[in-house]
Amino acid sequence: MKTKLKGISYSKYGYLFSIPFVVAFLIFTLYPTIYTAILGFTNCRGVNNTEFQFLEHPLENYKLILQNDSFRVSLKNTVMIWIMNFIPQITIALLLTAWFTSHSNEIKGKGFFKVVFYMPNIITAATVAILFHSLFNYPIGPVNDILTSSGLRDESYYFFTSKTASRLIVVFIQFWTWYGNTMIVLISGVLGISPDIYEAAEIDGANGVQTFFRITIPNIKTVLLYTLVTSLVGGLNMFDIPFLFLKGGPDRATLTTSVFIYNQAFSGSYLYNRASAASMLMWIIIAALSGVLFFIMRDKEQIQMDKEIKRAKKEAKRASKGGVNQWQW
Amino acid sequence: MKKALSFISALALLATATACGGTKDSSNQGTDAGTSKSESKKDDGGKSDGKQTINLWSFTDEVPKMVDKYKSLHPEFADKYDVKVTIVPTTDGAYQPALDKALTGGGADAPDMYCAEAAFVLKYTQGEMSSYAAPYKDLGIDVDNEIKAADIAQYTVDIGSNNGNVVGLGYQATGGAFIYRRSVAKAAFGSDDPKVVEEKIGAGSNSWDKFFECAEELKGKGYGIVSGDGDIWHAVENSSDTGWVVDGKLNIDPKREAFLDLSKKLKDNGYHNDTEDWQDAWFADMKGEGAKEVLGFFGPAWLINYTLSQNCGSWKETGEKDADGNAIKELDTSIGTYGDWAVCQPPIGFFWGGTWVLANKDSKVKEGVGEIIDWITLNCTQDGLQYMWANGTFDPANPTKDCVASGTVLGMSDGKVDFLGGQNMFDAFVAGNKLANGKNLTPYDETINQKWRGQVRQYTAGNKSREDALKDFKQEVADELDIH
Repeated sequence: MKTKLKGISYSKYGYLFSIPFVVAFLIFTLYPTIYTAILGFTNCRGVNNTEFQFLEHPLENYKLILQNDSFRVSLKNTVMIWIMNFIPQITIALLLTAWFTSHSNEIKGKGFFKVVFYMPNIITAATVAILFHSLFNYPIGPVNDILTSSGLRDESYYFFTSKTASRLIVVFIQFWTWYGNTMIVLISGVLGISPDIYEAAEIDGANGVQTFFRITIPNIKTVLLYTLVTSLVGGLNMFDIPFLFLKGGPDRATLTTSVFIYNQAFSGSYLYNRASAASMLMWIIIAALSGVLFFIMRDKEQIQMDKEIKRAKKEAKRASKGGVNQWQW
Repeated sequence: MKKALSFISALALLATATACGGTKDSSNQGTDAGTSKSESKKDDGGKSDGKQTINLWSFTDEVPKMVDKYKSLHPEFADKYDVKVTIVPTTDGAYQPALDKALTGGGADAPDMYCAEAAFVLKYTQGEMSSYAAPYKDLGIDVDNEIKAADIAQYTVDIGSNNGNVVGLGYQATGGAFIYRRSVAKAAFGSDDPKVVEEKIGAGSNSWDKFFECAEELKGKGYGIVSGDGDIWHAVENSSDTGWVVDGKLNIDPKREAFLDLSKKLKDNGYHNDTEDWQDAWFADMKGEGAKEVLGFFGPAWLINYTLSQNCGSWKETGEKDADGNAIKELDTSIGTYGDWAVCQPPIGFFWGGTWVLANKDSKVKEGVGEIIDWITLNCTQDGLQYMWANGTFDPANPTKDCVASGTVLGMSDGKVDFLGGQNMFDAFVAGNKLANGKNLTPYDETINQKWRGQVRQYTAGNKSREDALKDFKQEVADELDIH
């Protein structure tokens, strides 16, 4: 697309500035992905993995992974932990967004609250994991102290051997870390809505709830889609907290697929081929789910309009070519 | 001006684009942990003035400090060689991937000399990475004679040997003993004499029966015998006849399987405080601040020097800081448990931990590395490292005495330590060193032990049956390590 401005074309600068990103992407993202995909079809294992051959049955690794009990457990855990974490996260984020962008009630100190809500996201995962591990420590720890001294329990509760408790703690950590980020993103989406609509609604007598559900949400559909997709991708890739907190949890309770892949590759047997196969499986699953999300949240009106425009263009082309259209009378 | 500005901003964009190429939630890739945690110290002088460089890799500053000491004692060595140190702590398993990459990468930056801890030493002496280790005799060390002269503990040699050649040796002997509280022993048994306690716990009997009888007696008086089940695990693990993997198949030695029952017995009868080793509550028991006071811990000499001593609760901060910014602490024997400890032989012999030093087969400075390794691991004279290490004269600022690998040196040294109320600790530990077994380890031990302890914890907590614990353990090992 050439923008002619007194004869000078600036388009080449666009290409020039994209080169750094493209180069970095090719080297650090595309090449490793393709190499991983190839490894999934080989018998590469062990630390000294310079020579490897392709397997006679190329999909053997994939079959083994799908039959692997720990992989199934990890997939279930990942989906469960993500859903349990995402629903409260989006609910609280939407609620806070409604309050912070409300045109009828102005809240004082919004900036301060936004900073405070976002802060958990800044703390490194390792620190958070150690913090929560110390908090819920057994037999002596802050939470156990509260439980025993307030009389709720007679003796300390061993959180780290209980599968439910460990999962809930991981869910809570993920929720606590990310709700601030989601809230900020949603607020920025809402700020893009023209205030005239809100004024018109207020004049027509709409209350807060109606305004939120009929005006705000439909207008931030694209931002919601972005939040959903990024949370899905991040959630299904969850690694840092489950790994650092309990290394996959008591009896595989918090074992997520990324932790499973890491263990396959680096925990003693160096099964690089199986880990690669598992990674590619996750890639396919995430891509499919993202596609589904995109399909659900598609802008039906826009697609309808595009179709009409296309059809009109075709008609015009046919008409300009001359002659009577035999199918039209 | 404008062109320069746009060029700089383009570079900045490239830098940020390469730095954050990851997705939203996954910022922690395990493989990169090594680079973010390592520190490289270059010795002053550099490589330019004809000196050869020795690359040393370690996970603590122990061995680098030893090399510094050697250089200060032997200036002609310091003139010939420069030592480049890379330290990557083993937290989160960061050391091994970094070391593996450095070894396989080769070239000028490959390690000439590297350390391996007991948890993973087999991988480097007999396992996957053993092809990089140089036999000691290729370094110019007369291995067989020196080992005999120094009376090195047999388990150290077993672990460090590959096909009959010694490729690694340790400087510490980590044979274990039972380290008990004098005050608890006096209150419960009437005496804190090691012989009395040994009789009570069935020292040297190779069975836990007397030990549990003693636990019952202590329970009647309101004391626990150990802090958590992890304390007896190392004795159980190391005394088993076979390892976790035999002929490529998973093998659960009956003595290790018995740990399930031992742990449950401890928990059900309330003989311990149900702590997990290396967690806050376990350290609290070292100060005597747990739910009930505990008789003792199982461990080698390093547990006394590095763990019990630091966590005995007798250190008070003076409020000042030393050169590195660390708080200076002073000893106050009126608080905490300093001086209230003693050692005696354990019911079952074992070893726990230790560091082995290896050399790279492709190293260009084999002579220099051989000199250092010989001084650290085999020299049993008064000039050798082990003599200084055993007598606490290595670092004047920190006069801890440690159990060394050479029996000869231990015989020449004085093991009296204030922490143990003046007891000579070498007597108990030498016996432990002899009993330790170095033949039942596998390179997969770290991972398999973690899974095993996890399942045992589930069983003792009452969350699953014994058969389920065993079944799930086998399943986990098969899934993760492909060992069936």
